[in-house]
Amino acid sequence: MAKKTKLVWKTSKTFLLTGLILAFLSSLVLYFYTKYLLEDEVRESLYSTELRVENALKSGNTHYELPPIIEVNKVKRLSKEVIKDTIIYDPSEDEMELFRELSTFKTIDGIHYQITVRNMVVESKEFLLAIVISNIVILVLAFIFLFYFNTVRNLKIWSPFFKNLEQMKRFSLTSKESLEFVDSDVLEFAELKNEIVLLTDKVRADYENLKQFTEDVSHEMQTPLAIIQAKIDNIINEHGINVRQYEQITSIQKDIKRLKQLNKRITTLTKIDNNQFVNVEIVCLTDLIDDKIESFKELQFANLIHTSKNRFSVSMDPYLADILINNLISNAIKHSKQREEITLVIKDNLLVISNFGEKSLEHPESLFFRFYRESKANQSTGLGLAIVKKICDLYGFKISYQFKEDHHIFSVDFSK
Amino acid sequence: MKYLIAEDEIDLQQSIVTYLKRDGNICEVASDYWEASEKAAIYDYDVIILDINLVTGSGLDILKILKKEKKKAGVIIISANNSLADKLEGLDLGADDYITKPFHLAELNSRINAVLRRGKFDGDEIMEFNEIRIDTKSRTAYIDGKAISLTRKEYDLLVFFISNKGRVLSKEIIAEHLWGDNSDLLDNFDFIYVHINNLRKKMTTEGAKYIKTAYGSGYQFIED
Repeated sequence: MAKKTKLVWKTSKTFLLTGLILAFLSSLVLYFYTKYLLEDEVRESLYSTELRVENALKSGNTHYELPPIIEVNKVKRLSKEVIKDTIIYDPSEDEMELFRELSTFKTIDGIHYQITVRNMVVESKEFLLAIVISNIVILVLAFIFLFYFNTVRNLKIWSPFFKNLEQMKRFSLTSKESLEFVDSDVLEFAELKNEIVLLTDKVRADYENLKQFTEDVSHEMQTPLAIIQAKIDNIINEHGINVRQYEQITSIQKDIKRLKQLNKRITTLTKIDNNQFVNVEIVCLTDLIDDKIESFKELQFANLIHTSKNRFSVSMDPYLADILINNLISNAIKHSKQREEITLVIKDNLLVISNFGEKSLEHPESLFFRFYRESKANQSTGLGLAIVKKICDLYGFKISYQFKEDHHIFSVDFSK
Repeated sequence: MKYLIAEDEIDLQQSIVTYLKRDGNICEVASDYWEASEKAAIYDYDVIILDINLVTGSGLDILKILKKEKKKAGVIIISANNSLADKLEGLDLGADDYITKPFHLAELNSRINAVLRRGKFDGDEIMEFNEIRIDTKSRTAYIDGKAISLTRKEYDLLVFFISNKGRVLSKEIIAEHLWGDNSDLLDNFDFIYVHINNLRKKMTTEGAKYIKTAYGSGYQFIED
């Protein structure tokens, strides 16, 4: 089912099509039936005239003639009776006219006669046409009226359906806005409405639950993690552990750190979903990038280059701005080898960050999905770019990725 | 020093006590809101470590009690909730610092020390260890009265070491203290070696040989 047609148009189309076929067929039937009737009438009148002529001949009136309507000729031989159409000049009208002609051969008092009677059929043809045309006109008018009436009525009956459909199109899991559904006196529509209300409420409640659950889980995990962490910190200060045990214990610290990061990012994602970042300020991104580069340099990532010419500011939550820039830079750092340049530039509302890469990503379309990783090489949470995307979506910024000239390039378009 | 640890998770509470007692501090504990508010109102502590979500009440209310009773105790809030609003509310109500679970005990200890310095010396924030003297206000370290030039990270490292003197500090703990969340960008901890070795060299030339290696990859700031 590739092509979708509007309901009203679809029902109207069937209606119109049926109407046309009906008008055509009925006109056809009417045409042939009337034609048959008329011809039958003409034939009857020809025969009756012929009979009168014959009777006249029998009664001795041998010169009974009225050309071209009645002609009587004496012939040598009898022939077969013929009924046919013929065109004859009509002096009264001064034109050629179509006649129906009956020729019979009779023997009266031993003399062979050919009796020819004719009847003009022109008038009957026009009569026929008038009947067919008026039939079509009546049918078309009736259909136009019915079509109009039907469409108006359809639209009225279906209106709750269309209104509810529009409402459903506006349905969004994340928005708090409630949907106003219209009731209908049509049982099925009323049922549909009730089902939609039930479904949307359920979906929303489930979504809220899930979100709350995610938040609760990450929150509840903090305390046990804190206990594990604290115990480990004490164990490494106890005497009597050996180097191997120490190595294993400190590697647990690394895992705890990962969990901690994961929790923090899940919480951030949930908070963005919950619209908890309402503190909108003018944030100078160029300054922010400079600050970030400064702090990353302490990690000896001295390969960050910022080349914006003008200061650029955007209005958003400063905390989210920090996360946005931070995640983009750390993503670039994670995926570029040491000492290779990472360049950042803001020009014409567009932030572009690029770093060297040997080959393009295998699945760039999944790049902003949660927990998507191109490689297992680094122990990332897989949420950094998902958060970046979420922040961009929140403020209507457009983020895109491309691989060009051996560089991974992320662009954020701040223009709205 | 005398500390009150108001934390309803007994395991965490006891781990904190164990860590802090090593320096000969007195640690009292409170396992619920009522115990904590009672102890906070009656006794005097140098630092109170306060869980914001105590089973029977909010740590924020205890801050209000401390304010009402005009207690001088420094307060460090520990919370499972990493929310800016909570943090700001706690600091507004007079808390000195805020730390999110999970945290390293060394980190907590270093924060406690910072709070203590601010409270004790009324602006003259001085930290001492044998011949080492650190002015935390001007961020300068002296050995036998002679100023030594340290980078920002080396300075932070030295303060962290002295705050947690005698304890084994793993690379992970140090990395997290120095670089926070960005420390997960480190593929290996070579950067830490660089900073620690530089600090160790600068101190050794002045005769202060306190940074020792422990278990091959950890560090300990300790007297022989």
